[in-house]
Amino acid sequence: MDDSLEKPSSLFPKTPLTDEAPEDDEQLSDEEDGGLDWTKLLPPSARPIIPRRGEKEFEPRSGGGTNLQLHVLDRSRLAMFDTLRATRTISSKAVSYAVWHPDISRSHVTVARGIHFSNMGHSAPRSVQGEDGTSKMQRRLELLPEEAIYLIERGSVFCWKKSDLEFGELPGLSDVSGTPMTVQQAFSEMIGKEDLTIEKFQVYAYLKRLGYVVTRTDPPDSYYPIPPNLSVSKTTPIMQRIKTLFASWMSTLVQAVAPAFNWWKPVSLSHWLHHDKKYLSLFQSMRFIPSGHSTLPTIQSNVTTPYRIFYNVYKPSTPFKKSAPPPPDFQLVVVNARTAPMPSLQELSDLFDILPEAPLPTPRQRRPPTCAANNAPATPPTRETPARIASSPLAEKSLVRRMFPWLFFATPPAPPMPARRPNPFMALKSGKKIVIVAAVDSSNTSFFRFSQGEFTEWPMV
Amino acid sequence: MSLITPNTRARGGGGAQKGGVRRYEHNKIYAHPLPLLFVEPPPSRIGSVLGLLGLSLTRIENPHCEGVFDPTTRSVWVTRPDDALILWRRGFFGKGDLSRSEPSWLARQTNIRASGGKQLTSEEVTARRRAERRQFKLDRAAAIAAVAEEAEEIFATEGRVIAPALSGPAIPSAATWRPSQSAAAAEAEAAEDEGRDGPLEDEAPLVDVEHLQLTLQEAFFLLWNLDCLTVLDPQQTHAMSLKEIWLTFQSAELPPTIPAPPNPFDTLQFDNPFLINYAVYHHYRSLGWVVKSGIKFCVDYLLYKRGPVFTHAELALVVCPVYEDPADQQSSSIALQNATPFTWSWLSTINRVNSQVQKTLILVYVTIPARSRVPLDVLRSPACLGHYSVREVIVRRFIPARMRD
Repeated sequence: MDDSLEKPSSLFPKTPLTDEAPEDDEQLSDEEDGGLDWTKLLPPSARPIIPRRGEKEFEPRSGGGTNLQLHVLDRSRLAMFDTLRATRTISSKAVSYAVWHPDISRSHVTVARGIHFSNMGHSAPRSVQGEDGTSKMQRRLELLPEEAIYLIERGSVFCWKKSDLEFGELPGLSDVSGTPMTVQQAFSEMIGKEDLTIEKFQVYAYLKRLGYVVTRTDPPDSYYPIPPNLSVSKTTPIMQRIKTLFASWMSTLVQAVAPAFNWWKPVSLSHWLHHDKKYLSLFQSMRFIPSGHSTLPTIQSNVTTPYRIFYNVYKPSTPFKKSAPPPPDFQLVVVNARTAPMPSLQELSDLFDILPEAPLPTPRQRRPPTCAANNAPATPPTRETPARIASSPLAEKSLVRRMFPWLFFATPPAPPMPARRPNPFMALKSGKKIVIVAAVDSSNTSFFRFSQGEFTEWPMV
Repeated sequence: MSLITPNTRARGGGGAQKGGVRRYEHNKIYAHPLPLLFVEPPPSRIGSVLGLLGLSLTRIENPHCEGVFDPTTRSVWVTRPDDALILWRRGFFGKGDLSRSEPSWLARQTNIRASGGKQLTSEEVTARRRAERRQFKLDRAAAIAAVAEEAEEIFATEGRVIAPALSGPAIPSAATWRPSQSAAAAEAEAAEDEGRDGPLEDEAPLVDVEHLQLTLQEAFFLLWNLDCLTVLDPQQTHAMSLKEIWLTFQSAELPPTIPAPPNPFDTLQFDNPFLINYAVYHHYRSLGWVVKSGIKFCVDYLLYKRGPVFTHAELALVVCPVYEDPADQQSSSIALQNATPFTWSWLSTINRVNSQVQKTLILVYVTIPARSRVPLDVLRSPACLGHYSVREVIVRRFIPARMRD
């Protein structure tokens, strides 16, 4: 009901807002649809009071608003204009500097400051002219176009454009060569480079502002670090291949021996066999319509599709190492909703083919959230129950066993506690393989999760 | 936001009964998932000996229901109340034509005559809940308006700005609001009035005019797999044979051809909506789901675990036919629904509707065999169903702001 919504209030939050670290105000900016909070853009003294979110401030009376309503509306509107009018400033001590190289579509970071570069940019060896005129390879930090625009737009990077013009010896400009770029110039020059579209940038910036780490799925150059074992190997283990071979051989044998399936009478219940006279076997005998994603689709595929995975996305809580990124939490496709309709079955199957299988969802824990938070990032959700993790091996050991460990050396470990069967509805709803599609309709983004369903694995009878 | 909270359910739907008692009764009434019954013989020595051999004396009881094919509504009408009850209670097949689901017209009419009987039908429960909800919203709006008026007063006289509260002690919330005594009293009074007037009227005895109607998919599932339904032709002259039904159900979904073709098999085609929907219906029925229509929520089917009286339907299916050969789609005479991918706005629409009622949207892709691969002759028998295939894709909105952990 409506009562579950946050109560709107026009009061300041109790804790003072900080302007420097974007990570600190995550708690405040987690509106679902990211309405801009104007109050954060002004220094605290000049901040007007604006209700953050929630229900409408008031319902206009018939025949126009009342005095109080008009007053409140005017005040809010004025606050927005004041905020927009204010000059945005950055400290020269906190700003980083970069040089945009249009020929390689990268921005070379010359001065890196702040925490952004712990998960943005990558190092690439480039040949530079040494002082003695010889060229040598040197690793340097480079930004992709979306990373550069994002940092320029938020005022963290001041970007120059590479230019061959000679400036001479100007104070402070000895280590940069080129012309300064405006934000507008950065947008117009960098969008369109390295497969970046405006839609992809919008999705990138939205996720970055929420605290996610976003990287490219297809490395744009050979120096770009990618997570290991991302691509599913097509080669199946040899035992599995033998098994499938055997199974197919068996099925052909059975087909040859067994009487042909009577399509006019698909279910035949024997009047004598005990096995047949149960609802379970009755339902099982009706399962003859081919189903599942493993059955090979024979639909003709089209070559040009907008449905290609573009970004790897990591949750803010996932430990991320830039040089060796872990497997991503989500994989994202970005499409323009005006030109691309929903993915077809073929496009979805092609996406599922290259995706790894997602683990089963963990049953919802009824423990205090702090405990769950400690477990969650370190161990990916597995079929194990939390109870099993909790039982330490020492506690299980008896006194005899502790005294004579060699006696019990050969005994197999105690059988694992029977894993609780996951709720079939959770498994059905989460699906096996998951891809996120961001449909950007003239800068309005809606994210959808498409997952491969396997209803045959979770029958209700 | 959902209306389906335990609170309202207990308040509105329970009547005199408690949840546990009701569940126990439901377990008894709806114990059988299919119309066929397996009747255990009394334990005997022969039975136990046979049991060792994997044989048993369990009798299979087939109810042999009867229905009439109605081409205009593309359904099969079950008019005998006993048959309707069996089909509803054992597997939730069909729907009463004057009711929301279970044929309850007669019970409702009896309730009206008896002026407010204790046993409310589900339709009456819903009507009462909606009336209560409307009253709650009116009360809340009045309370909010009163608080706003107060704030207005303070602003006018003292110049202080107070944001009028939208919730709080003065404003009723769904958790605390109860139908007022006066409304309940008025209702009771009205019921009494009716009761006084009732016996005076000269009443004709009630005749059940309702029938259970089965969709073609339901009817074919019952008669083809379980052989527990006999379908009479529209003139009710004879029972239709299985081959006749197979052909009739297919052509019921096809546009009529004038003059009728000499060979009725010539008109059959793979993208017949009956075949596509049947493949989906059969697939989920065979997995043990109770499959009901989802037309209320912009979808084709809803999946219930065990049945509508037990659980809320958490899954909503949209059938999306896919032509194996796109050329077949061009040459087809049928403009098949959902055969081309949705626009994003339509996907958002149906997803929004369904997430509002706590349902997860499932796209069920059914492949239609290519004419170049499978000869049309296969359509003469149900063997063609082996050439269709069913795949599920689950759609949910992904909200990055809520997935950060």
